[in-house]
Amino acid sequence: MAFPKPTATLRSATGIPTGRLAVWWLLASEVVIFGGLLGSYLMFRIGHPEWADAAAHTNTWIGAFNTLVLLTSSFTAVLGHQAAERGDGKTAAKFLVLTMGGALTFILVKSVEWTIEITEGYTITANGFWSFYYTAAGLHALHVIAGAIIMGVIALDAYRGRELQRVELIGIYWHFVDVVWIFLFPLLYIAK
Amino acid sequence: MPENHEHQGGDAKHDGGHHINYKKIYFILLGLLVVSVLGPFAGIVIVTLITAFGVAVVKANLVVQNFMHLKAEKTLAKWVLGTSLLLMALMFAGVSADVLNHEGRNWENLAAKAAVERGIADPHAVGEVGGEAVAAVEVAFNVERNFDLVCGSCHGTAGDGTGAAGAALDPRPANFTDPVFWETRDRDRIVNVITNGGASVGLSPLMVAWSASFTSEQIQELADHVMEFRPE
Repeated sequence: MAFPKPTATLRSATGIPTGRLAVWWLLASEVVIFGGLLGSYLMFRIGHPEWADAAAHTNTWIGAFNTLVLLTSSFTAVLGHQAAERGDGKTAAKFLVLTMGGALTFILVKSVEWTIEITEGYTITANGFWSFYYTAAGLHALHVIAGAIIMGVIALDAYRGRELQRVELIGIYWHFVDVVWIFLFPLLYIAK
Repeated sequence: MPENHEHQGGDAKHDGGHHINYKKIYFILLGLLVVSVLGPFAGIVIVTLITAFGVAVVKANLVVQNFMHLKAEKTLAKWVLGTSLLLMALMFAGVSADVLNHEGRNWENLAAKAAVERGIADPHAVGEVGGEAVAAVEVAFNVERNFDLVCGSCHGTAGDGTGAAGAALDPRPANFTDPVFWETRDRDRIVNVITNGGASVGLSPLMVAWSASFTSEQIQELADHVMEFRPE
């Protein structure tokens, strides 16, 4: 049985399609969540010179590799959006699957990295730096996982040529996840 | 599919009517990534800060403007995001002075000072190694100094309950030099309060639990120090 589209889906008093406006609102709340966390980290990091030594134990090369992975996944996500704009759902789905591959790679690398660090004794309770490190990177990783799952659902629809506008919406979210990492990388891996 | 029609119409000028060369943006981002990784090799702090955070701002801006298409988006979306950023700036401006500094005219953050001191005394110490607790300050533990830092601010460095931070407290911080105090206290009780905090025995929650910061041996030493104030 087919249900009619909710009124809000078709209404656009703002000139922005409703779905996209909703994503901007979502990201506005994410800015507060990650902004608060990273802002707090920055304040504590400056106030605690002894954290420099803990920060020296993070692996810059692993962080850089994951940055490369996320930047590449953002590139494939925007190519998926471009394909969806042309109405080419199959190509859009293909690019979304590639983006999910980036998400999987990111999480696998993170798992190996965390395993090494935890084995060496750098746990979430080791000191303030590691508490922030696991909280910030962990919250970001949860966003990566959630984004990849939603992307899978949207890719299935897109492959069948349905709801192609959603390819752009998940893309915007994904780029935001990328932007958060762009700031996490220097904060946790470079400023030592 | 009405939604797709809306999408096509709404997005006709989504990139501002200009073609965005995504591949070019991607390669610029990769170039900037290389710059941010190589920056610290110069060994100059200001260069590291610029290549780390300056480049991050440029990278983020490239992604937001070109991949998220914010530059071609309606002003409302920019206001929505801008408001969140402004709130963050206000939060930072409002609390940074208290977090960045560890003391002010009428206050002192003893826990933060103690943490800095411990960290600098033994920078390689971590909480747990191979399941075995390692004391961060085992080598450098100075019982008198730690008492002054974590207890003395309220109880007074002489243990007489006259610490500056406790001046306005009601009830007053305990006076360890008062024989009446010891009529209802013993060493085990002191160890318990230092370990689990005042709230665990119905006393002031301002006496926080120190079990996460000190080893049990160090807590025993602190208790011994408190016992020294007991009158004969």
